[in-house]
Amino acid sequence: MTLAQVARKDFEDAVRSKMVWGITAVFVGFMLFVMLAAMGSSDTSDATGDAALGLTAQLSQLFVPLIALIVGYMAVVGERRSGSLRVLLSYPHSRRDVVFGKLAGRSLVIALALGAGSVASILVIALLVAPPDPGNVVGLLASIVLFGVGFTGLAVGISASVRTRGKAMAVAIGSLLVFLLVWDAAAAGLYAVVTGSLPGLHAEAWFFLAKRLSPVGAFRALAGGFVEGQLSPFVRMGLEDLPRDASAEQLALSNRVDGPLPFYLSEWFAAATLAFWGAVPAVIGYLRFERSDV
Amino acid sequence: MPAIRTDGLTKRYSGGVLGTEVTAIDDLDLVVREGEVYGFLGPNGAGKSTTIDVLLDYARPTAGTVEVLGHEVQANPGAVSDRVGVVPEGYGLYERLTGRRNLELAIDWQSGTDDPDRLLDRVGLAAEDASRPVGDYSKGMTQRLALAMALSGDPDLLILDEPSSGLDPNGIRRLREIVREEADGGTTVFFSSHVLSQVEAVCDRVGILDDGDLVAVDTVEGLREAAGASSTLELTVDDPESIGLGSRDGISDVEIRGNRLRVTCTDSRAKARTVADLVERGHDVVDVGSESASLAEIFAVYTNESDGQSDDAEPRPEVVA
Repeated sequence: MTLAQVARKDFEDAVRSKMVWGITAVFVGFMLFVMLAAMGSSDTSDATGDAALGLTAQLSQLFVPLIALIVGYMAVVGERRSGSLRVLLSYPHSRRDVVFGKLAGRSLVIALALGAGSVASILVIALLVAPPDPGNVVGLLASIVLFGVGFTGLAVGISASVRTRGKAMAVAIGSLLVFLLVWDAAAAGLYAVVTGSLPGLHAEAWFFLAKRLSPVGAFRALAGGFVEGQLSPFVRMGLEDLPRDASAEQLALSNRVDGPLPFYLSEWFAAATLAFWGAVPAVIGYLRFERSDV
Repeated sequence: MPAIRTDGLTKRYSGGVLGTEVTAIDDLDLVVREGEVYGFLGPNGAGKSTTIDVLLDYARPTAGTVEVLGHEVQANPGAVSDRVGVVPEGYGLYERLTGRRNLELAIDWQSGTDDPDRLLDRVGLAAEDASRPVGDYSKGMTQRLALAMALSGDPDLLILDEPSSGLDPNGIRRLREIVREEADGGTTVFFSSHVLSQVEAVCDRVGILDDGDLVAVDTVEGLREAAGASSTLELTVDDPESIGLGSRDGISDVEIRGNRLRVTCTDSRAKARTVADLVERGHDVVDVGSESASLAEIFAVYTNESDGQSDDAEPRPEVVA
């Protein structure tokens, strides 16, 4: 089973990387800092553990993709540039073993790093605020890990597709900007073109699907089920025509769409979307890698 | 069954939208027999590494086929990689892992049962060095480790691309010993180099690649004869002008420099005959020197590169009497 051998080697190599540990430390540190700052500024008497959990999810929107892309974008192209890929491929590993072994190895690294980071911040919540609901904790943890693994697949796919580190970095940063800044705006723009007006408090169900088709949107939809209140985009562009004083009640998805929620607005569909973002770019990356000269 | 056979192998690199297309290998027919040590010689940029890249399926040929140990490489990628040991060009090892761990992984990947210590000892890498991360290694140590990794799993074919680069004289001697030992054990060795003396010292046959073309294949001796790059006899005599060597068998040229005669022989036996002849005719032969054509000269004949290679261009004195 050479895929497992590649994964094991990659994991072993990656955990020795100071960069991976550094990023995890920054992630945990930033989480704690923002959480303490947010709690210090608000009246802690009515702060609940589940609301603090929402803050963790909020921050994850930016940090999880960032960490996964940093850990994954060099997975294949880095070995290509250093020449270790030439050594790796001289043993009985196929190129498929290399790409998917790398994906498995890096996914494990990401899962452990995010798991450790999230557990640390949830511990702080439990100690400083109030213990959040255990079911929500497990759900959010799983959402964060799935989100991270999805972006790792994207990163490894990018890494296998290109020949230089610079290109890998450019595509990784570009895709992050698209998902964080452009996607929702494009969805709102599309809505305006189709219906003639910006999406308001009530909108067609497909608009919400369009937003959820990005990995960030899918994570928001998935994690939103485990935290109190609504998860808003990390960068709010004000492209939806919403009243300023809209209550959380009014903003709930079930109140913005007519009738019962279609299956594609379920949390399961969002989880499947994340898995799709993990698998498809990796497969495309593999196919490009298979055809190219090392 | 040859260990390596290429048939009409061609590899072109497209230069992108604006670049020009580069032909790295052009219609190459290469045969490496089982059990031989084959020297693959050529100047930098001749296409040696590209050829090896195709043999190892790192690069895909534009045209032609490649067989390694009887399996067509492009049709069955990886069919023989457990029987081939490689020190590729431009390789890198896992710098964060120790030398020993890199070697253990290689043994593991080859499903081998080799003793890492024995392999380290064979290539001359000390145990304390093996326990350091490879990132701290010198080029020579890295090269020794890469050779140990290539030897793991007792390969039937060793492909070594410039294996002596970065090695000190001790390392080079050890490399030669290892190549001979492997060949004695039945392993085919494909040894690519631009350093002529390396190839000359260990190879049964030599192929000279120039600009993507295999311009000659023969034993080192055979190449010497075929290229007409003959040996030179240098005689110091009192009266060079008066000696008429004329056109004798095995002598292609006579040149006078001061009190010295440079006699170019196409047949090395002509040297002794010439000396005996002069002594018999009563000339006072003060000194006799002889040079055998080095591969550098042969190489220059085939590759039209008169300046040769810096470190090997000097003809080596064979006898200085």
